[in-house]
Amino acid sequence: MEGARETSGFVKRGAPMTKLVNELASVQANEPLGPGLYLMALKAPQIARGIEAGQFVHMRIPHMDDHILRRPFSVYGRSAEEGIVEILYQTVGYGTDQMTRIGALESVEMIGPVGRPWRPPAAASRALLVAGGVGSAPLFLLAEKLIAEKREVDVVLGAQTAEALVSRERYEALLQAPPRCSTDDGSFGFEGFCTPLVEQALAEAEGEGRPYDYLAVCGPEPLMRLVANMAAEHGVLCEVSLERRMACGVGACLSCVVNTTGGLKRSCVDGPVFLAEEVIW
Amino acid sequence: MVRMAVDLGGLQMKNPVTVASGTFAAGREYGDFVDVASLGAVTTKGVSLHGWKGNATPRIAETASGMLNSIGLQNAGVAHLKEIDIPWLVDEGATIIVNVSGHSLGEYVSVVEALEEAPVDAYEINISCPNVDAGGMTIGCHVESVESVVSACRAATKRPMIVKLTPNVTDITEIARAAEAAGADALSLINTLLGMAIDAKTRKPLLARIVGGLSGPAVKPIALRMVWECFHSVKIPLLGMGGIASGEDAVEFLLAGATAIAVGTANFMNPTATTEVIEGIARYCEDNGVDDVNELIGALLC
Repeated sequence: MEGARETSGFVKRGAPMTKLVNELASVQANEPLGPGLYLMALKAPQIARGIEAGQFVHMRIPHMDDHILRRPFSVYGRSAEEGIVEILYQTVGYGTDQMTRIGALESVEMIGPVGRPWRPPAAASRALLVAGGVGSAPLFLLAEKLIAEKREVDVVLGAQTAEALVSRERYEALLQAPPRCSTDDGSFGFEGFCTPLVEQALAEAEGEGRPYDYLAVCGPEPLMRLVANMAAEHGVLCEVSLERRMACGVGACLSCVVNTTGGLKRSCVDGPVFLAEEVIW
Repeated sequence: MVRMAVDLGGLQMKNPVTVASGTFAAGREYGDFVDVASLGAVTTKGVSLHGWKGNATPRIAETASGMLNSIGLQNAGVAHLKEIDIPWLVDEGATIIVNVSGHSLGEYVSVVEALEEAPVDAYEINISCPNVDAGGMTIGCHVESVESVVSACRAATKRPMIVKLTPNVTDITEIARAAEAAGADALSLINTLLGMAIDAKTRKPLLARIVGGLSGPAVKPIALRMVWECFHSVKIPLLGMGGIASGEDAVEFLLAGATAIAVGTANFMNPTATTEVIEGIARYCEDNGVDDVNELIGALLC
């Protein structure tokens, strides 16, 4: 029957690359960075050692026992040597509001590293990373990795205001060319959505005779869909990072499924990063 | 050393703790956290004959001390379970309860028949899922359909057969007695309570299917009451579940009359919840001079 074929997508579940741990992390810092935007640093040596760009942690936020579910957060920065992971988060509801009240040295349980990381092809030499809002978080480790591998990286960052472009300086310090930025209100960079900047970057790279051969995008789903379409039109391989309402965070509950050409896939462990061409939007 | 083994209608469990179907997949996803062989049994996600796609997303919503789900029994079908999941559980040394689902009486029987050749220790007949349009709770709400499905499955197997009941009925003891009369070896209860959640800002339901099953600590008092009622209504043993997150929660179910218990939504809160519940039961017994966990079954003082 139809259902059997459709569900067969999650039959071939890949073995997790690293063992999952439920690590008791110690909060080192939890500071506001911009409007509704916070940076939390945690000491979590096992996760810091194992995490790959694009993977996430599933956090049990303390002091909210009547809100029973964990919350997933991508990892923005890490130091394997110091055992530190950083989370850039935006307050969007009760859980993230509670998070802002977590003090230094409090303990937080988190499962990680979860999920399929970004997988730029080994042959890709020039990458374009596109971030909307806090979508800049899961792309930063990818930018670091690509730079370390001596590949060329350009970045487009979009946010509502200049104050919300909280990761701009971190990208500027990493990249040779500063990121192309847009703000909805024009307070920094291009005024409007970031999609025209993406189109511009794709066209310029083609004009230089060195087109992009990999594009990674994370942000609001309509943005990812638009950018994925642009990548397809320019023949550039594209990956997207999807998020669905999630319960277990380990692939058991089937809450977070995404419709793909290969059937229903779990955004937690089959994703969160998917090939754009695979996603049925 | 506390004796922890229990006999659930012919199913020998090394301790009284299993998992609620659908919260633990077939165990492998929790393999980094839990030695599945250390559990009394692993109860697998509901399986149908050829697999189902499940419902549209969003499939879950968090509610006060609980959650709603409307997964809709997404599964890859019994052949996949036999080829991939059961061999893994066998390799790990787990005791296996397979949750059997169907859209029709015939499908339940076909799934049981398909599993008879596989190394399964017991079946849990799911006539209580609230998230499907046919089968599940639509069967489990009426004495006649309960009797016909349970009798038909009974005729297909000699293995221990647990029947999972829905709390979404006027009198659960009536359904419990019907399942017992039709040949069930044990009853598991409760499945989730039908509920809904609304976002006042958008005026929309939080679940794509609008309604879904409520689980988590919020439902524990209802589950305890129903286990206690059924304990006094049937002779077959009970597998109690609903909001169990600690050893003490589990002990309360045993006192109410459960022979074994299942950890469900708590797995999402804490991936080592099952292990902690087993340890918590043993500790309770040690602290209270209980040598054998069976002494607790139905030992409520009132």
